[in-house]
Amino acid sequence: MNGTQQLLTHSLDTNEQTLRDYFTKTPDLVYCHLLIGEPKKRALLVYLNTLVDKNSINNNIIDPLLFETKQIHTIADIQLPIGSKSYTTKWEHVIQHVFQGETALFLDGDNQVLLLDTQGWPQRAIAEPQIESSLKGSHQGFIETCEKNIALIRRYLPHQQLKIEETTVGRRGHTPVSLLYLEDVAHPEVLQELKDRIEQVDVDTIVNTGELMQYIEDNPFSPFPQFLLTERPDAAVSNLLQGRIVIVIDRSPSVMIGPMTFITFFQTVDDYSTRWMIASFLRLLRLLAFFMAIFLPSAYIAALSFHYEIIPLNLLLTIGESRERVPLPPLLEAVLMELAIEMLREAGLRLPAPIGQTVGIVGGVVIGQAAVEAGIVSNIMVVIVSLTAIASFIIPNPDMSESIRLLRFPMMIAASLFGLVGMVIGFMLIIGHLISLESLGTPAGSPFAPARLRDWKDTILRFPLWMMRTRPLSARPTQLTRQKKFRK
Amino acid sequence: MTTMQYIFLISGTQVGIGILSLPAQLADIANTDGWIAIVIGWVISMIASTIIIKTMAKHPQDTIFNLSRRYFGRIFGTLIHLAFVAYTSLAAITVVFTSIHITQVWILPNTPNYLIMMLFMLPGFLITRNGVRVLGRYAEVVFYLTLWMPVLIAVPLQKGTILYMLPILKEGWAPIFQAVKTTVLSFLGFELAFVFYPFLKEKKHGIKAMVIANSISAFTFLLITITCFIFFSPDETPSLIWPTLSLLKTIEFSFIERFEVIFLSFYLFVMSTTGIPYIFTTVFGISQLIGKKDHTIVLLFTVCIFIFTSFLYTPPFSHIQTMGSWWERYGLWGAYFFPIGLFIYTSIARWFQGGKNK
Repeated sequence: MNGTQQLLTHSLDTNEQTLRDYFTKTPDLVYCHLLIGEPKKRALLVYLNTLVDKNSINNNIIDPLLFETKQIHTIADIQLPIGSKSYTTKWEHVIQHVFQGETALFLDGDNQVLLLDTQGWPQRAIAEPQIESSLKGSHQGFIETCEKNIALIRRYLPHQQLKIEETTVGRRGHTPVSLLYLEDVAHPEVLQELKDRIEQVDVDTIVNTGELMQYIEDNPFSPFPQFLLTERPDAAVSNLLQGRIVIVIDRSPSVMIGPMTFITFFQTVDDYSTRWMIASFLRLLRLLAFFMAIFLPSAYIAALSFHYEIIPLNLLLTIGESRERVPLPPLLEAVLMELAIEMLREAGLRLPAPIGQTVGIVGGVVIGQAAVEAGIVSNIMVVIVSLTAIASFIIPNPDMSESIRLLRFPMMIAASLFGLVGMVIGFMLIIGHLISLESLGTPAGSPFAPARLRDWKDTILRFPLWMMRTRPLSARPTQLTRQKKFRK
Repeated sequence: MTTMQYIFLISGTQVGIGILSLPAQLADIANTDGWIAIVIGWVISMIASTIIIKTMAKHPQDTIFNLSRRYFGRIFGTLIHLAFVAYTSLAAITVVFTSIHITQVWILPNTPNYLIMMLFMLPGFLITRNGVRVLGRYAEVVFYLTLWMPVLIAVPLQKGTILYMLPILKEGWAPIFQAVKTTVLSFLGFELAFVFYPFLKEKKHGIKAMVIANSISAFTFLLITITCFIFFSPDETPSLIWPTLSLLKTIEFSFIERFEVIFLSFYLFVMSTTGIPYIFTTVFGISQLIGKKDHTIVLLFTVCIFIFTSFLYTPPFSHIQTMGSWWERYGLWGAYFFPIGLFIYTSIARWFQGGKNK
């Protein structure tokens, strides 16, 4: 039908025919004819029974309509126990809302339609976040329904400055996208930039948050993530309070947060609920893990291929003994083992949990023991690869952890070609890239480059909470005071 | 560019390859009194950089390239422009080839120099491409990343014999003044204020920033020179080509040997903050000359020339020394005499113009 721009008519039969012409081969569309009011008047209830809450329709719409005793002149006379309703005369709106699980009520002799909110689709209960588990944070994670996710965030911030802007993305999917921000903190330019970028997205649909992220990120050729994806409401709220913008996408269990800086991918919610010394220690641990995950295998390769003179003699002898039967050069040995670990990880992730454990055991035994005994790799290599793997698992954000695991491979190649010099040049490239990287037009290298010394309180170390009196400048907040000085 | 970034950019340019050989040169001329020459050189470089800032502050949005055209007209302005670009390119070439040479001598003896050149040009390209803002951030990060290095260099200080420093002024003032010529040149790098000053956000901190930058460099020079003098005997220091690196040979840990290899690899960061600003200035100057806003194409071209040259030409140490001495001769004019002349000229020119307007 080319008439979705058209208006409804006053005749119920014409309207029904228009609908039937439009929704062909749609068996889940229900047409429910009713006679309502005194004297009886014909009415038509239309809904997609796969997307509605049937109880709500039966109890809150059909039941009161059947027992209606007043005279119904126009559709505005109908009173129903449903809070969220709207009127329209446009076919376009009718169709759009019916597809979103609303119920349309047509009345004979009226060209207006009453749209009633009866949405009810299959959804899962709110559960503990699976990927980002935490010790002390809340145990509620986001689910696939936008409204519930916003509810989870609002529970933390019942404040009038928390604004929500809604839009849709996708020609076929009409994915509802909501932007949440604190109006007096978030920078209007950043917000406008984000809105412009989302507006430009012209695709069929957005199936998952990660897709939208790739459509709107600043530098698609960067190995590093520029938006944070999280399934934790508490993480989302803490970022909202720092002046960032939370993007909630319907049908996706994670929300997207921007603009982000590099260091924010190393912070967790637990850091703030743990005492500051322990939290600082964990931060240092993560930083160490970052360097180990990138540089440890390449350092081993560099030392063995170029600079064996830097290894003390005793250690060199041990390594030599362990590598005695290994036919592979260090680079191949390392790449082989790293790839094996990556495969194990991927296999464990994709397989159902009971079989996943088997993979772990098989991998552990085969790689840990048999490969060494067979003389394919050396003991030291196994130790280094395991350490690297553990280090990369410490990085709390899965996206960042994956980026780091990827960077390890070019670094190993550089180390095998140029030794330590190659590693340092690689490090230089990473730094050079990070300082020019931007997220929504704000520097991702902040607070290190450009240096904002005041923001260092929440980076390598986590200072006591009462000392962090200002919001970090990285998201360009327009209001800086986070808390008053109430403790000396 | 924030004031901090500006400071680190200037001092990063100053501290680079010169410092590796400075103690030997000083000891050669002025024996252990060379450190006095550093102090004198520090004062002179501060005066020169103040003059540069004073000149530049007359037209705060102008780089030296705009300024020369404004005062000297089209032809002479372009000539000065060309001369400055030639100077910075000479500096860039010297720094790049010297760092490749050092890398080859100390870390990668078997790697051909064109491979190292290609490797070095990667970060050079990446960081230069994004302009002054990223350059400033890079200098800042590198400063924080390399803070541990002077501390480590000072470790041999406690093993040294402080008596080597005595008596002060053992040969009178004459050799010290001779050595000033060397130390003054090790402060080269501040003349890039000619290009970077317009990008400084808070212009009123201009002179202060230059003083701090020069002081950071002077402190580093002093620390390392004195450590060398105390640790090696006064007779041994001049015989070493790279005394600063020899200093590191003495540092040993139970878990790592030949620490200078690791140190020198990391020292590439320090060398990069010397080379990249010069490469940037050259590329920026050429793009301005041919009227291009975006300097990426010129940069790409420059990088290709560097790599191509390295295929054909591997400079022996004597050539590198020659390059260094050219740079120094040119630098003496470019960084000390030229600013003074320019300052006097612009002051007179403005005075005349001011007279006309009245």
